[in-house]
Amino acid sequence: MTGELATLLLCDGRLPVGAYTYSAGLEPAVAAGLTRDQVPGLLRARLRTVSVTEAAAAVLALRAGLRDPVDHAPVQAALAARTPTAPLREASAALGRGVHRLARRLAADHPAVAALEHAAVPGTAPARPLRPIVTGALAAALGVGEAALARTVLYDDLQTVTSAALKLLPGDPLDAVAWILACEPQLEAAVAESRAVTSADSLPARSAPLTEQWALEHPHNERRLFLA
Amino acid sequence: MSGRYEAPPASGEDGTRCAGETSRPTVVAVERDGARNRIDALRPGAFLAPMPLHARGGAARIALVGTTAGLVAGDALALDVTVGPGAELELTETAGLVAYDHRGGASSWRARVTVAAGGRLQWEGKPFVAADGARVDRGLEVFLGHGATMLWRDTLVLGRSAERGGSVRSVTRVLHEGRELFVEELDLTDHQERQLPGVLGGSRVVDAVAAFGRTPAKPHAPLTTPLAGPGALARTVTPGAARDGACLDQVWRSWATEL
Repeated sequence: MTGELATLLLCDGRLPVGAYTYSAGLEPAVAAGLTRDQVPGLLRARLRTVSVTEAAAAVLALRAGLRDPVDHAPVQAALAARTPTAPLREASAALGRGVHRLARRLAADHPAVAALEHAAVPGTAPARPLRPIVTGALAAALGVGEAALARTVLYDDLQTVTSAALKLLPGDPLDAVAWILACEPQLEAAVAESRAVTSADSLPARSAPLTEQWALEHPHNERRLFLA
Repeated sequence: MSGRYEAPPASGEDGTRCAGETSRPTVVAVERDGARNRIDALRPGAFLAPMPLHARGGAARIALVGTTAGLVAGDALALDVTVGPGAELELTETAGLVAYDHRGGASSWRARVTVAAGGRLQWEGKPFVAADGARVDRGLEVFLGHGATMLWRDTLVLGRSAERGGSVRSVTRVLHEGRELFVEELDLTDHQERQLPGVLGGSRVVDAVAAFGRTPAKPHAPLTTPLAGPGALARTVTPGAARDGACLDQVWRSWATEL
């Protein structure tokens, strides 16, 4: 497998992994007053903070998945320690479950996928692998390369925000495409940073405090469409 | 060094520091000695002098007293706190710390905290204010042993009144029994980036109460979150120039009864 078709699959919103339940922080942000003209700023903020952490974690999981034996626990623990907000960890574990189901269907016997059963660290919550760990493991099984994986994770985060914006902050859908393309320099910088990470303890940890605050308020919002 | 207290050095009239003093660490060490907590080391550093306070209940109590007006370019504040096995320490600060206009230079603030097995530390920090022109690298490293706990108040203020504030990068790394419990880089060095939606927006105060080593029973929703491991974080992001921390004061008082 060259991984090229798999790369397209991984960043396709039609992949049946339940990603439609997630707004990548947009719905909590809108509840806190974010307006449509601020969406490009939110995209840049995520590329600089939470998304680069996720992309780097996925790359580390991909590398772990190609080693013998496979151990996902160090990356899972490092990502959990850098995701202090419980609803965001829970959302990541819920999304990871959808990807895990797909990984089992496609490559249950691959060591990277099989090792996901032991990714969670005893005594820490959640007890399931976080999404970037699962995505990284699946990428290892399907032959997706590091740069392609990092770009997929980052692109998926941007597309998740903009497609949720179509529901939450209606406007011209063509704008959303332009917003994403305008993020290319920041996205490529995040790809490079993700690939440069060499160990779990050097995983980027840049935080976005308001994003966390909004995520904590979100479960108390009535009439939510998205889980986070 | 055991139990000895040294007077802080006199600082220069013009606010300059004597050569070699700009990075001398402040050292605080407390040991458990039978039923009481014994102060094992108290050494004033270049910026903070530790002053023993009358003990209330069992814990040793020490106030960190600023011995300079604040941080200027070239300063390197260092603080080393050690709480021995089973020992208890309450650390307070008499005033906040201001980092002034560094005129193109930079300064640093580093704290290294070790709480050994069964030890307990409460550190009620006062606001750290980064004035216009400041450029500060802050770092806190915490090592917690089995059953050790730490309760920490940290208030970061960007700018004094009518200022937008200087540049701050604040890295916190907490290890619990050798494993990462909480790792965060609050990168507020770039004015435009930190104002992005979801980072700080227009806010200038990041105020937090953090419990490490044990998850407090009282959650105080929606302000607080349990960590992935034993611990919890309560944080507010507010526009005010002064500490707008009544909610967090309440969380502090509540969690202080548990940790």
